[in-house]
Amino acid sequence: MRIPLTHWSKLWVICLTLLAPITHTHAADLSLAYETIEPPSIRMGESAVIRITSMDGYLDNVPLPSVTGLKFEWIGRQQGFEFVSGKPIPSSYVLIKVTPEFAGVFTIPGLTPKSRTLGLEVVAAETSNPLAWRNYKSSAPPPPPPPKVTSLPKGAELKAGGAAFVRLVIPTRDIYVGESVPVDIEVGLRPGIVTSLNGLPTLSGGDFTLNNLSRQPERRDEDYGGNQFLLMTWHSVLAAVKPGDFSLSVEAPMSVKVNTLSAEDISIAARMGAPFLQSLYSAIKPKEMTVTSPTSELKVLPLPTEGRPNDFSGAVGNFQVTSDIAPTHPAAGDPLTLRLHVSGTGNFDRVDSPMFSQLEHWKTYPPKSVFKKSDAVGYKGEKVFEQPLITAKSGQQTIPGLAFSYFNPTTRRYERAQTQPIQVSIGATLANSSPGSLDAATLRRGLRPDHDPSSRSVSALEPLYFQPTFLAVPATLALLLAGGWFVVRPSPARVNARVNARVLAQLEAAAKSGDSVSFFELAHQTLLRTGAAGEDIERLSALADEAKYSRYEPGNTDFPHWLAVIRARLKEI
Amino acid sequence: MYSADTLYNQGNAYARAGKPGLAVLSYKRAALLAPNDPDINSNLEYVSATARVPTEAQFAYLVNPTAAAWLGVIGIILLGGSLLAGKATRHYRGLRVTAKLLGIGCIALTLSNAAVLWPRMHEAVILTNQTPARVSPVPMGDTAFVLREAETVTMAAEHEDYVLIRTRNGRTGWVARASLGTVVP
Repeated sequence: MRIPLTHWSKLWVICLTLLAPITHTHAADLSLAYETIEPPSIRMGESAVIRITSMDGYLDNVPLPSVTGLKFEWIGRQQGFEFVSGKPIPSSYVLIKVTPEFAGVFTIPGLTPKSRTLGLEVVAAETSNPLAWRNYKSSAPPPPPPPKVTSLPKGAELKAGGAAFVRLVIPTRDIYVGESVPVDIEVGLRPGIVTSLNGLPTLSGGDFTLNNLSRQPERRDEDYGGNQFLLMTWHSVLAAVKPGDFSLSVEAPMSVKVNTLSAEDISIAARMGAPFLQSLYSAIKPKEMTVTSPTSELKVLPLPTEGRPNDFSGAVGNFQVTSDIAPTHPAAGDPLTLRLHVSGTGNFDRVDSPMFSQLEHWKTYPPKSVFKKSDAVGYKGEKVFEQPLITAKSGQQTIPGLAFSYFNPTTRRYERAQTQPIQVSIGATLANSSPGSLDAATLRRGLRPDHDPSSRSVSALEPLYFQPTFLAVPATLALLLAGGWFVVRPSPARVNARVNARVLAQLEAAAKSGDSVSFFELAHQTLLRTGAAGEDIERLSALADEAKYSRYEPGNTDFPHWLAVIRARLKEI
Repeated sequence: MYSADTLYNQGNAYARAGKPGLAVLSYKRAALLAPNDPDINSNLEYVSATARVPTEAQFAYLVNPTAAAWLGVIGIILLGGSLLAGKATRHYRGLRVTAKLLGIGCIALTLSNAAVLWPRMHEAVILTNQTPARVSPVPMGDTAFVLREAETVTMAAEHEDYVLIRTRNGRTGWVARASLGTVVP
């Protein structure tokens, strides 16, 4: 027999293992040891093994731990090699058998200074090993027979080496386009082997819609063929979008624990006989895979065109209708609510409003609808249409019955459901003849007597100042006054006389106080304003500058002369 | 045509018939024309109290609204005339100042009268008992609160057959137009 090259390294390990006791026998330092437990999850009746590994020589004085519910027994010591950075290092092992006394999750304290706390999960008694299923390669010997499936649900097939199944439960009859039919999607998983479901089941093919697939399926434990399964069931509604013959299947993504060892590795590990050597070959890893259900055949029929009512909105199912109105004794002008109840089974999303768009003597408002489902997926339920109506006409009135058309897949024909007309008694408005809401005698007692109708009548209740016609009066007045403001202007001669008088008064005051700067400045500006020219202006300008910059001497001023000049000039203009 | 006496008598008739909503509405309309009439105010207060709706404080008006309107016109004439006269002449200064002050006073009186009455132009009275004030202007809108008959509310907006009202304590809701009567029709 030719041994593959890949197994030479493993044969070296075996040889070195057999020679190891000769090479190292000195006591090891516990601080350089570590420990592991295999497997970390067992069932009642099974045992796990704690392996303490030391690469620093012979282990001595390892105390047995004490954990309530677990029984620890020495198995023995072994020698071997650990590979560190590709180099074999002689190591010694201590093996301790752990046997649970009851199910639960246990914490085992570290037995060496560097080791961490170990965890051990013990589940209820089970005949089979939770890690029994292995993913054998094609070259490997034939896989072990799958678990007995005699009790599996009809149409279910175990996949992923017997770890899971997916099943689609659909109606056995033909369905119609647009019809909603309830379907169940079942996913069975073996806990411990299937580690997680990685998404919701999906329907293969795009010619169907799957509605209302809840994120929380029904869960229950089932025993199929002696194996424990977690069965998850999603209830949903399937609808076909086109006619034809279809094959349907459902797939679910999940993670499954698989043993990736080849058959040769498994046979070598089996020959070792020692748990630690077997553990060298342990390669159980989670693998993501998609499990698909067996295909189910479904025939989708088109809706017949013959006999299709004009008001058919696409509702397919079995429906019943009733109607009511509230309040039953309204007054004219009061809003009423007309309700149409459509109940039964079918595609309620296609049940459309058949309410009134217009009704004689009534004012109609757009209806609104509310759907109350009776099951988890909305296949059964009641859709209520509410339409507000208002009438101003009092007396006995009749609201016609409401009709609703749908296709019944059971009878395979279109049907029309109609409600009975509703009689409504509309009372008169309160302002006219409704009885008073208070005791009239009580009100009458404290009232002051009536007046003689002698006051003046007016055409409107608004005060005059809020009436546009009256507002025209003050507005016109304001406009007239504003216009008068521009018309009535003082005459220019009067304005000039007033200005000249003010200037002369200022000049006299400046002359009197000897303020030559102000006097000559003002005199200069006044002559300029009056349009004077020539010597007087030039001289006055010079005097003003002189007064401004070198303090004109009061004794040398001739204020009377200049006042006379300015007066004469002002008189001229 | 409206007259204060006729509206007052109408209010009394409604009150005797046990219809406080319509009675309060008539009294409020009468009070617009004769705000200082003691009988109108007394009966309005009495009916409101009997109907267990909040009563409002009554203002003592210096003049009735019609007189206030004409006083405003006179005020404009006095003020404007005195300003024009001051521009035209410097004589009669005392007379001009007096006319100016009188004009300002008349206009102020009119404006204050209008300011007091302005909110009443948007008032309405609930005519039906247990009237629902809805959160939206549709018959199926949820009821926010219920109004008593004869309660006075202020109208803020309108939408089709519904009116957005505000109560005296600040609550707002949509009421069917048929359930209320506006003080100024």
